[in-house]
Amino acid sequence: MSTQTIIDVIGLTKSFGAMEVLKGITLSLERSQVTCIIGPSGSGKSTLLRCMAFLETYDSGRVEIEGRLLGYVEKNGKRRMAKPSETASVRRNVGFVFQHFNLWPHMTALENVAKPLWLAAGCDKVEARSRGMAALDRVGLREKADLYPAQLSGGQQQRVGIARTLAKEPHIILFDEPTSALDPEIVGEVLQVMRSLADDGMTMAVVTHEMGFAAQVADRVAFIDEGVISAVGSPQDVFKNTDNPRLNRFLKNFFDRNVFWTN
Amino acid sequence: MTSLMAEMFPVFTVGVRSTILFSIGSVGLGFCVGVLICAMRLGRSRSLYVLSSFYVSAMRGMPLFVQLLIAYYCLPLVGFNVSPEVSALLTLAACTGAYQAEILRGGFLGIPPGQIEAARMSGLNSWQILRHIQVPQAVRLTFPSLLNEAVAMVKASSLISAVGVLELTRAAQNIAASTYRPLPVYLTAGAIYLVITVGVSVAGAILERRLRVGQAS
Amino acid sequence: MMFDYTILTSNWREIFDGICLSLELWLGGSLLGLVLGLALATVHHYGDFIVRALIAAYVGIFRGTPLLIQLFVLYYGGPSFGLVLSPVAAGLIGLTIYGSAQFVEIFRAGFAAIGPGQIEAAKMSGLGAMQTLWHIQIPQMLLIILPSLVNMMVIMTKETAILSVISIPELTAVMSGIGASTYAFAETLFALAAFYWVLLEGVSAVGRLAENRVSRYLAK
Repeated sequence: MSTQTIIDVIGLTKSFGAMEVLKGITLSLERSQVTCIIGPSGSGKSTLLRCMAFLETYDSGRVEIEGRLLGYVEKNGKRRMAKPSETASVRRNVGFVFQHFNLWPHMTALENVAKPLWLAAGCDKVEARSRGMAALDRVGLREKADLYPAQLSGGQQQRVGIARTLAKEPHIILFDEPTSALDPEIVGEVLQVMRSLADDGMTMAVVTHEMGFAAQVADRVAFIDEGVISAVGSPQDVFKNTDNPRLNRFLKNFFDRNVFWTN
Repeated sequence: MTSLMAEMFPVFTVGVRSTILFSIGSVGLGFCVGVLICAMRLGRSRSLYVLSSFYVSAMRGMPLFVQLLIAYYCLPLVGFNVSPEVSALLTLAACTGAYQAEILRGGFLGIPPGQIEAARMSGLNSWQILRHIQVPQAVRLTFPSLLNEAVAMVKASSLISAVGVLELTRAAQNIAASTYRPLPVYLTAGAIYLVITVGVSVAGAILERRLRVGQAS
Repeated sequence: MMFDYTILTSNWREIFDGICLSLELWLGGSLLGLVLGLALATVHHYGDFIVRALIAAYVGIFRGTPLLIQLFVLYYGGPSFGLVLSPVAAGLIGLTIYGSAQFVEIFRAGFAAIGPGQIEAAKMSGLGAMQTLWHIQIPQMLLIILPSLVNMMVIMTKETAILSVISIPELTAVMSGIGASTYAFAETLFALAAFYWVLLEGVSAVGRLAENRVSRYLAK
């Protein structure tokens, strides 16, 4: 294992009842790389991302964060569920951005960002506040700090969600379809923020349907289909030079939908 | 008419004070019961869950009036000698507690799970999530229903007149019996109840607006 | 404390009559209240400002005061304006009015829950106002508000217990009467509580069954 690996997923499986959603996923996320995870809906890509944060338990295999097993404790070859505090400590440097933002509606934008810092990260209130403001500034929302989520547009809410994640200074951010709940015309402002994070060298894993973003920003693209990674490589490899028939059909759907001018 | 007013006023004053005290006391005590029962219903212990579910079903399954009769007549039979006032207050609190428990439970279950996940990913522990994310929102979400319950208790407290507690309804009965003029007396009592219930609703609505400052929905 | 079941069995005739009267008053008061409530809600929906204000006042008054006071005004106050009612008649009328005020609110919420788009679609399909009301709005509304209606029916079972206070010989009056004459309060009152509990769980179960039957018609 390279010391540059932030999250290492090895042979991960996960079932919901009788349905096997992940059938042995192996994937490693390297420092400063942007990995985009694409695939048809129901392919398991969101479940994979949620397992990497242990928002979802997994059945077998491993998720290691900077070398530490996530969610379980192993003793004498036996595995038990880790205590919540142990899990919290392992994933302390993992950020997560949700499809539906999941801001707390009873707190202002700034409180959403800063409150976890003094509750969980041990900052005092003044420091939490200034770090919170810095994070809001980073996503261009300094002047919206005192507004409540319901007073913000969807794009602004998601940027607050990103700021909340940035504020804890994570080593990696997992994005779960961050623009899927947004109106098409405001998707751009969120992607812009994500692109600038990538430019700054943030390690990111992004589950997305934004093929343009994946093609331009990703260092690596993983195509998940029916619970397995059936193609992985550079955007060039995955989008252009593939002979995987299911990947081709998936991509063709996307390209057909987006072609509106032919000559 | 003026003589009737003069006769009614002091008795009604006592009755109104008693009605208000019983309402506030039972809603307040009932809230404590409600929080406890709600915690048992949402907690991990199977036996506490069964116990609390039984409690809620029983308290909501019988008329409050019957509960009052049982407390009034049967508590002394098992050697629990309390005044009618205390037994009435405890019964009201026990009953509204079951309703408030269900209201609160609905509030907790109404918080989108994604918000809890976001809190967990922000590193908050269970206690912090309860204290800073769940409780503030559950109170906001359930405030209108809790307010309804408070109004319902003002009205329900009229039933304790039947077990000999002097409150507004009992006061009206006493005056009606001594003046032989039931219609104006009971209409006055009704008007007073209306003022109290409308007052509680209006005060609650103002408080609620203040609670959701800056929130659109 | 010993339970003496003979108290109940030896008075079975009286108890049976009490049960019947309780059920009759419950069903009568609920159904009449339901019909009156639907009528008032419909008038409210189509009425002008004054009609709406009047109905709002009606609802406000009967929801803002205890049923007990309403019964006292009707039963003891009625003779002052020439309305002399038997206890049972006063109880039935009182329950009906009280119930109707609650049902109006439920039906009003039901009307509000049907989106304006559907009414527009009915209009564009050439339906008249009455046809829209009868074929589009009311059927859907009944589906949407069924849980609230069932809940209100359940509440009405419990309200019948209050009628004993104006000397209606329904089950609560019968049972506390037997209790008072024999001092067997535990037997009579717990049997009474059990009756209501069973009735209430029964009504709730029927309601859940009905909700399950109709839920497939409701779009998510």
